[in-house]
Amino acid sequence: MSHDKMILKHPLSVRMFHYFLILSFLPLAVTGVLLYFKPLSDAAMHLTMQIHAAAGVALTIACASFFFLAYDRVVLFIKRVFSVSLADLKWFAVLGGYPQKLILRKKVPVPPMGKYNSGQKLFGIFVLIGGSLLILSGWILWGFPHAMPRGFVSLMGDVHLIAGIVLTLFLCVHLFLGVYMFDDFKAMILHGKIPYEEAREMSSLWVRKEVIPISENKC
Amino acid sequence: MNAVAKTYQKGEIPGLIAIRASACKGCDACQRYCPTGAITGSFGATHGIDVDLCLSCGQCLISCPFDAVYETDDAVDQVIANLRDKSVSVVGIIAPAVRVAIGEEFGMKTGSLVTGKLYGSMKKAGFEILDNNFAADLTIMEEGSELISRARHAVFGEKSAHGEPIGPLPQLTSCCPAWVRYVETQCPALIPHLSSAKSPQQMAGTVAKTYGTKVWNKPASQIFTVGIMPCTAKKFEASRPEFTSAYEFNKKQNRETGPAYPDVDVVLTTRDLARLFKKMKIDLAKEADYSPDILFAEYSGAGTIFGNTGGVMEAAVRTAYAVLTGEELANVEFKPVRGLKGVKSASVTLKDAKYGKDVTINLAVVHDMARNIKPIVDDVLAGKSPYHFIEVMNCPAGCINGGGQPIDKSGSSWVEAIRPLFAWK
Repeated sequence: MSHDKMILKHPLSVRMFHYFLILSFLPLAVTGVLLYFKPLSDAAMHLTMQIHAAAGVALTIACASFFFLAYDRVVLFIKRVFSVSLADLKWFAVLGGYPQKLILRKKVPVPPMGKYNSGQKLFGIFVLIGGSLLILSGWILWGFPHAMPRGFVSLMGDVHLIAGIVLTLFLCVHLFLGVYMFDDFKAMILHGKIPYEEAREMSSLWVRKEVIPISENKC
Repeated sequence: MNAVAKTYQKGEIPGLIAIRASACKGCDACQRYCPTGAITGSFGATHGIDVDLCLSCGQCLISCPFDAVYETDDAVDQVIANLRDKSVSVVGIIAPAVRVAIGEEFGMKTGSLVTGKLYGSMKKAGFEILDNNFAADLTIMEEGSELISRARHAVFGEKSAHGEPIGPLPQLTSCCPAWVRYVETQCPALIPHLSSAKSPQQMAGTVAKTYGTKVWNKPASQIFTVGIMPCTAKKFEASRPEFTSAYEFNKKQNRETGPAYPDVDVVLTTRDLARLFKKMKIDLAKEADYSPDILFAEYSGAGTIFGNTGGVMEAAVRTAYAVLTGEELANVEFKPVRGLKGVKSASVTLKDAKYGKDVTINLAVVHDMARNIKPIVDDVLAGKSPYHFIEVMNCPAGCINGGGQPIDKSGSSWVEAIRPLFAWK
């Protein structure tokens, strides 16, 4: 494979889903923080809650659509984030080499990774489980707080809060690293492709085992 | 609490129910249960309570999933202090719904009937016992007789025995203090329709401080009456300034020269009583059954069923049957008014032995006021109501699910089918 070639990392369906996540989860995170601390006036808090509810509906529609329209991608994603090996422990031992790179300007050996590195896999697990819990608890808190067992609604409130905090914190890290890995950022936001060389370095297992040249693709 | 509460008489407790801003999530669950729209604050914003609209029913309190709603009145320590004062007889007036709920606070199965253990625990704490079922029997005799009087007045033009005016039909029950406050603040034109009979709690307080002075051999000023109720609004009711009947009576009898006292001094909810027992190291679940040998613990089945929606109506029908026909009802169960349907109605035809004619009485039973009362009230106000007697209880299912009952985390007060109500406004 030529060195100046680009390879497709994020297909259109994934990029579309990601756009919807940006449009729904970012407002959800911001309004969620406001709803927790309640710093605004009655009218402003009301508007905040309305935005939160509307964004929640958008998030639910985006997730449901992706699940049904790109089921193969969902299965692949789940398979990838839950495939754990010793390499993941080694990756976490050096935190993917990022602190050394960012703080010490030093490059340390990092175990070879698949399409997602161990940190991204952990983020994926949290997004999958935390996001599902957020959506489920959000609908209960919005539509049924009066009609469900009181203790259950209270539990849903706690689940919503904890999952919201965890995912918002992850979001901050995700945004930082997303911009730091600018080629991947461009791929997700624009054309879906990353340079072959970068993929070979960052996701060597993926490139070696899964990526095939278009010329070899018989489909 | 509002700085200026406009819908309260002097002495009444305003702002009995309040919302802790730090715990409120603005989810609007409480608003679904409020019969008067007293909950303020938009969806998402911290909620508050409009004291002037609030009925003190406590449905928001027992329904808030986040424990943000609380009571501002707590008489537990005051009652304990009186129990320790040997010169005072502390009379516990136990409502029917308390005995089937308080066991939950001591780890017993939900719905356990613990009358004997409750009596035993109260005796151990130092209470004299006046079962409110006894007073409920008094109430129903008054309320049933009043219904007959109103019906005979409407049908046969009969005048009252003492010349006082007779109220219009439909007669509305008056034992639910939240309902009475609803009428007074939302539709005062209906006040003449309310039964003039006091609630069982207030009758019990009056009896305790009049007849009870002979039973306990104490002046009324040394009798401290404690309503033990499933209801937060009963605290408000006891604080109403007009409820000093015992004092007025005793004064007329020249048995009273001191300052005025209320018929019921304080009210404890079921939750409060459980807390009192725990403070006094009394474990109700381990107490032996006790049966007090006193007239005030005698009662009929009519008083017992007061705590359920339809209970007052069923008891009233039994009484009306006996008074009108001069015979005892063979089957005392009147099933059309039982169950959790929002508005239940029935007709009973009774032979009025005095006039030798059949009288048909149309009855309605309403509970869960937040959802069911408006059309009933509108019909009565418009003069279109088909009913002659309407029982109203504020809380879903009646006093059994009152705002002062133990809070069951595995349930909610919602008695309709589960349906979503997505808040927006």
